[in-house]
Amino acid sequence: MTTDQQIEAEANAPGPVHALEVRGLVKHYPGVKALDGVDLVVHPHEVLGIAGENGAGKSTLLKALVGLVRPDAGEIRVRGEKVRLRSVVDAANHGIGMVFQEQSLVPNLTAAENIVLGSEGQGVRRGIYRWETMRKLAQEQLDKIGSTIDPLARTDTLSFADRQMVEIAKVLRIEERSQHPPVIILDEPTSVLEPKEIETLFTQIRRLREFASVVFVSHRLDEVLEVCDRISVLRGGRSAGEVLAADATPSELHRMMIGSTGSDNHYHDSAAKRPNLPREPMLTVRGLSGKTFRDVDLEVHAGEIVGIVGVHGSGREDLCRALFGAEPTTAGEVTLDGKKLDLSGTRAACAAGVGYVPAERKSEGMVGPMSVADNMTLTKQKSRCTGPLVAPRKQATLVDSWIERLSIRTPHRGTAIQRLSGGNQQKVVLARWLVAGDVRLLLLDHPSRGLDIGARSEVYRLMRELAGSGVATVLLADSLEEAIGMSDRIVVMSDGRMTTEVACPSGGKPTPLDLVKEMV
Amino acid sequence: MSTPVTAIPTTEPVVVNNRATVKQRLTSFMPLIALVTLLAALTIADPGFLTQRSLTAVVQTSAPLVVLAAGATLVVLCGGIDLSIAALCSLSTVIFALWLPDLGGLTTLAVIGAAGAIGTVQGIAHVLLRIPSFIVTLGGLSIFSAIALVISDAGPIRIVEREATNWLTLYVGGIVPMSFFVAMIVVAAIALVLKLTPLHSWVSATGYSESAARLAGTPVDLVKVGAFTVSGACAGLAAVMLVSRNFSGSPTMADNLLLPAVAAIVVGGTAITGGHGSIWRSLVGALVITLLRVGLPIVGVPSAYEQILYGAIIVAAVALTLDRSKVLIIK
Repeated sequence: MTTDQQIEAEANAPGPVHALEVRGLVKHYPGVKALDGVDLVVHPHEVLGIAGENGAGKSTLLKALVGLVRPDAGEIRVRGEKVRLRSVVDAANHGIGMVFQEQSLVPNLTAAENIVLGSEGQGVRRGIYRWETMRKLAQEQLDKIGSTIDPLARTDTLSFADRQMVEIAKVLRIEERSQHPPVIILDEPTSVLEPKEIETLFTQIRRLREFASVVFVSHRLDEVLEVCDRISVLRGGRSAGEVLAADATPSELHRMMIGSTGSDNHYHDSAAKRPNLPREPMLTVRGLSGKTFRDVDLEVHAGEIVGIVGVHGSGREDLCRALFGAEPTTAGEVTLDGKKLDLSGTRAACAAGVGYVPAERKSEGMVGPMSVADNMTLTKQKSRCTGPLVAPRKQATLVDSWIERLSIRTPHRGTAIQRLSGGNQQKVVLARWLVAGDVRLLLLDHPSRGLDIGARSEVYRLMRELAGSGVATVLLADSLEEAIGMSDRIVVMSDGRMTTEVACPSGGKPTPLDLVKEMV
Repeated sequence: MSTPVTAIPTTEPVVVNNRATVKQRLTSFMPLIALVTLLAALTIADPGFLTQRSLTAVVQTSAPLVVLAAGATLVVLCGGIDLSIAALCSLSTVIFALWLPDLGGLTTLAVIGAAGAIGTVQGIAHVLLRIPSFIVTLGGLSIFSAIALVISDAGPIRIVEREATNWLTLYVGGIVPMSFFVAMIVVAAIALVLKLTPLHSWVSATGYSESAARLAGTPVDLVKVGAFTVSGACAGLAAVMLVSRNFSGSPTMADNLLLPAVAAIVVGGTAITGGHGSIWRSLVGALVITLLRVGLPIVGVPSAYEQILYGAIIVAAVALTLDRSKVLIIK
């Protein structure tokens, strides 16, 4: 790729100092190499895009750049000088600031207070707020981005887009601190904005380029291509190449993100093993409505994996939880295997043979300090009991058999589950629904989140085998590729409604771009 | 089991550090070590302390505290706290004194039942109205104290018939005071039920991570209401023990037991954040607290300083048992 080589040459050539340079950054988490030698260069006055699938290491990289994560190896250089960033304040002193994905403003303070919060400077004298000075300081920042927001407006009265402007103005305060052109990092800034607001944001980003460097991260490739000068692609914790935005197309970028390797039946897909679907669906949803979804109709057959895709705010997560009785519904009817499904609580759903694997494994999927055995039998208590009493031998035999069947790597069934690696934890969480052998519908919310490729592959294989044994599966995939790779059928959700259904048979898979068209 | 599931092992690393460190082991035995050390220290300070008579007195004194702490431990294990136990206990002594003339021998059971029902109401308020247990029971503390004052006309009620409580003043085998024996039975019963049934998993899961427990289909609400019920019933039983010792019911009789009960739980090493701990630990904790109470005057510490010591002990015990590594923000 000629563009790559050009950039590589530029990067190595002596000349203008880079605003920010990252070399060989490595960060390990238990069981996962989040960063595995990432290189990155940010030039002065450019907008650099970072693209990559979930789990590619984007957020870890950004966190390392603002001192929230300490890398295990590698170096970060700011304007040629090697730095060790210990905190957000440390990073700010070096001129690096981040606009966080979840906004970090204090809602009941004014915009001005938020902008100067933590760097009050002249705004505070002898411990007392000097409102006029603070307002001026804040106004200066707002003027930089040409915003007309009233600095004395309370933050919670501002629109989401305005709050984001306040946040950018706040980050720009670091310019005064470091006395250099700052590096501003924007992490998924568009995910909750309306199209018009996105346009405004992009105008702002182009303005920022005049006096700062910008690092822009977004899931949406079209946005990355529109607003960035150059794009660096991450894949599996490594740098997978760079392109100039002007030369690149979404599909090219996409190919770089996924890579050509690893997709060789990574999803264990084979039409031959697929059983014929029964005529009657296992799960039937009719007109189901809740807080964030309306009038949903859905059918899932035994042995079928149905992927639900949709952008942030599509309501698919809430729908999934509602089917498990963990989210209230306002209307509609759900039947499982011909019987009406009680959605009043999780216990009723469990008893009816519904299983749910939450996206947040650490906080919702497992009880960290409890043992592998107790986590595995937490739901199906009967499977380890004789009468009303727990039978330790019965539990041991059962749990050991599942540890062996799923190749769960744990020193002992009594080991606290939090000591296992992510993939093994997830296998225990899945096993929870299997021990009693009565699960008929599995709701999987990002089951491969945070897992490395090997562990993902095992989870995929497990899903295939469960489907093969007649379990109906609803999958909220981590990426479009995963949804396409694993699903037999894909349902698209947008703004809480089901908009389209796309057949996704083995050998006739749609492309991600086909789906993206339907999602927005 | 018909599901034909197999998986092929991968090279994924097993990240395990399974050996409990010496420090962790030591921490888990700390309450017992503290108990023995305290006993030894008191014996050195007063060689006459280690006699059957004074030990009998200590365990007899500790009985109501053991029962109160045992019940409240369940609530703490579920991740909540019950601040109303002492006030509910005081109220129960008054109820006992008032009901005794009418109910006679059945009064004990009636009072325990009533206190349990009051605990249930608190539990339901906590679960259904989604009010933190801290607030619900703080309100309960205030309400029960006030009710006790109102129905007792703000003074102690003497008990004339002593038959109903006499059994508690007996000795088992001539040595062990009946009240302490009953307290041990309560502790053993709760511990056994937890150990032998799925309840232990449910309580721990609820305490460690309520959302994970709920999403695993654990009857979280039921478990919590149950914990408050047991806690209330234990307050009722503790009240009967106090009445048997004081021959009266009084609206403030047990009020000074709240801090010692909470201290007993945390000194025992049950995590105030929920999940980790056991009833047995609270028994040890209650004995430590009682020994301190009885022993400090022996060593010559004025009783006014006792409260200072309790305060310091609670803070120190939490400092030793709280796992701060996973808590980002301490509120």
